[in-house]
Amino acid sequence: MKVINTYKLAVGYGSRIIMDQIDLQALKGQIVGLLGPNGSGKTTLLKTLGGLLAPIKGVVYLCGKDLTCYNSTELSKNLAVLLTERVSAPLTTAFEIVAMGRYPYTDYADRLTPKDTAKVWESLELVNGRGLAEKYFSELSDGEKQKVLLARALTQEPELLILDEPTSFLDLRHRYEIIEVFTRLAHEKKTTIILSLHDIELAARCCDSVFLLKDNQILGYGSPEQLLTGESIRKLYDFQGVNYNELLGVTELQNPQPPTIFVVGGNGSAVKLFRLLSRSHYGICSGIIHENDLDYQVGKSLGIEIVTAKAFEMIDEATFQKAVAKILQIHEVIDAGYPVGMTNHKNLDLIKKALGMGKVVISVRTPEESRKLFGNMADKILYCREFSELLTILSREREAKAIVMNKRNLC
Amino acid sequence: MNHKYRLTVIFPILLLTAVLVMLIANIAMGPINISVPKIWDSIFGIHRQDDIYTNIIWKIRMPRALAAAFGGAALSLSGLLLQVLFRNPLADPFILGITPGSSLVVGIVVFLGASIGLNVIHPFLLALAAFIGAMIVMIIVLATARKIKNIVTLLIVGMMVGYLCNALTNLMISFAQKEQLHLFTIWGLGSFSGFSWPETLILASVTIILTGGAMAICKPLNALILGEDYARSMGVPIKKLRIFIVIISCFLSGTMTAFAGPVAFIGLAVPYISRLSCKTSDNRVLIPLTVLLGAFLTSLCDLVARMALRPAEIPISGITSFFGVPLVIALLLRRNQSL
Repeated sequence: MKVINTYKLAVGYGSRIIMDQIDLQALKGQIVGLLGPNGSGKTTLLKTLGGLLAPIKGVVYLCGKDLTCYNSTELSKNLAVLLTERVSAPLTTAFEIVAMGRYPYTDYADRLTPKDTAKVWESLELVNGRGLAEKYFSELSDGEKQKVLLARALTQEPELLILDEPTSFLDLRHRYEIIEVFTRLAHEKKTTIILSLHDIELAARCCDSVFLLKDNQILGYGSPEQLLTGESIRKLYDFQGVNYNELLGVTELQNPQPPTIFVVGGNGSAVKLFRLLSRSHYGICSGIIHENDLDYQVGKSLGIEIVTAKAFEMIDEATFQKAVAKILQIHEVIDAGYPVGMTNHKNLDLIKKALGMGKVVISVRTPEESRKLFGNMADKILYCREFSELLTILSREREAKAIVMNKRNLC
Repeated sequence: MNHKYRLTVIFPILLLTAVLVMLIANIAMGPINISVPKIWDSIFGIHRQDDIYTNIIWKIRMPRALAAAFGGAALSLSGLLLQVLFRNPLADPFILGITPGSSLVVGIVVFLGASIGLNVIHPFLLALAAFIGAMIVMIIVLATARKIKNIVTLLIVGMMVGYLCNALTNLMISFAQKEQLHLFTIWGLGSFSGFSWPETLILASVTIILTGGAMAICKPLNALILGEDYARSMGVPIKKLRIFIVIISCFLSGTMTAFAGPVAFIGLAVPYISRLSCKTSDNRVLIPLTVLLGAFLTSLCDLVARMALRPAEIPISGITSFFGVPLVIALLLRRNQSL
């Protein structure tokens, strides 16, 4: 059953159209997310769907009936909103704020019946906010305020809940708590929820369908699995130097530096190193990494060069030579401490080769472990116990090299 | 529950008693002090003697005492409603330019009336003039409100219009004749002296009726605290409510200003004081308390204005600020609570 749908809707302020020809819909118990850059018209669209702005053209149907045909009390029993504007409500307790949601149900003097009071407590319970009831709203934290305002919207017992950026300003715990409330509401109470989000990962977690809004139009509509790909997100936000990885749900800043360090990784051992070195402005390349490896996904998102091997296959000689050629061009090699097994055994040879070429090799393994793997060659490796030490070693090595170069030039 | 009981039963009863005490004190005290039994006798006594006391009580002190009480109530309620509407504790009839607007139109009526030979102007006409002045300013401010969403900007617009009204009033004064000038200057200082019974009755009935009107819209008033968008989403007819509030508060402060002249600070301070001392924003509680507190404090100020430098009188605005400023600052500091 369609709870809300629009027909050729145009939204905007006054006569200025911000978005035109919008046809969207949400079914009962669905969570629908709107994603898009700032200024793409999400708030305007949500305000129009919530009846706070009149449509410029077209119609919004709520439960099959034109939104403008509802009288205000009837509408507020079917539809509740949570807006982005910061609310200041001095000298008012959280309970009083939540109880305001009963406005369409109470008598002229706004007296709460036992049923109303029970509803207020139920809503507070839903957002885990029972303990906040007696506190003054102005003394709550941002997260608690948001929970209270959400509870207020729930007290209206709406069919449709419209939320404008409900997770902004919230810390991680409150963010997930609120998202959890949404999914529970949609699942248990069959409330339909339309919300705008800035967090692609959250959208992928909680939305049944998403709309991508950009440049005053709908760029795409569908399930998050189908729609939220690296490519579509790049288009949506005009990403430059940023990559969204749809499998991991993370966004990485690209590393634009030319590679000077070769990281030998595998099984996710290089992920933290990749991020650390990129953050410290070292250009990196990596190998030999299997295409089914986590290191491969993160490395690709960071935009670094990787010598790869096919998933679940042994590293062949050609790939090995490619990696050796790469190492020839760079200064240092880092052993990320990957687990050694059948398919990546050749990576040990790679490090031995690097040592043979006289490259600086730094390892995050313990010297004992290294000795088992590399034998006597292990003595030529530099060891660091933690990542911060790695950066110290790197800069020390680079300095030493610079001095040597200078001396050579002087001679 | 205990707190609620205190707010809805004990506070109102205490304040009502205080207002009655102040009424009696205002009737009893003056250049000639009159004993309480005597007052009782001349008001409720069967064999009322037509002596000098009865004359003083009925012709001078009673209208003035009642006017001070009702006038204070009217100003306070007007201030409270504007503060709720603008969601800003700075809003009051003075700052929003309502009182200067009233002054201007009253001035025009007084001076024009004199120039066509009307030396006594009917109190109804004065009240109407003050109301029209108040409405003109409020309509300008509200028209701006449609264009500008920012509440602080709106307050500044109100202030600007107020300055303009003051400037025009001053311009008029500079061209006025001596007698009218005196009359207008006295009016401009603000005083409850010389209230006639018709004036008092108009003020009293306006205050009583509009207090009832304000009580009737408690529910939507409370919903305004989250802002107009939220209020609308809960089914509050926001446009109608806005117009209703403006009309009520203009009527209240306009009528009061017409008869007693501009009285400062009551409209700003009394809503503060009642809100801070009750620690609530629930208008169902605040409206009766603010009305009673306004009546009490204004009566008290009028008593001090009359008695402090007997037989000379101090303008009431001087006293209200003297009382109000330290009280508000002290409350703000003690509660350390934002409004």
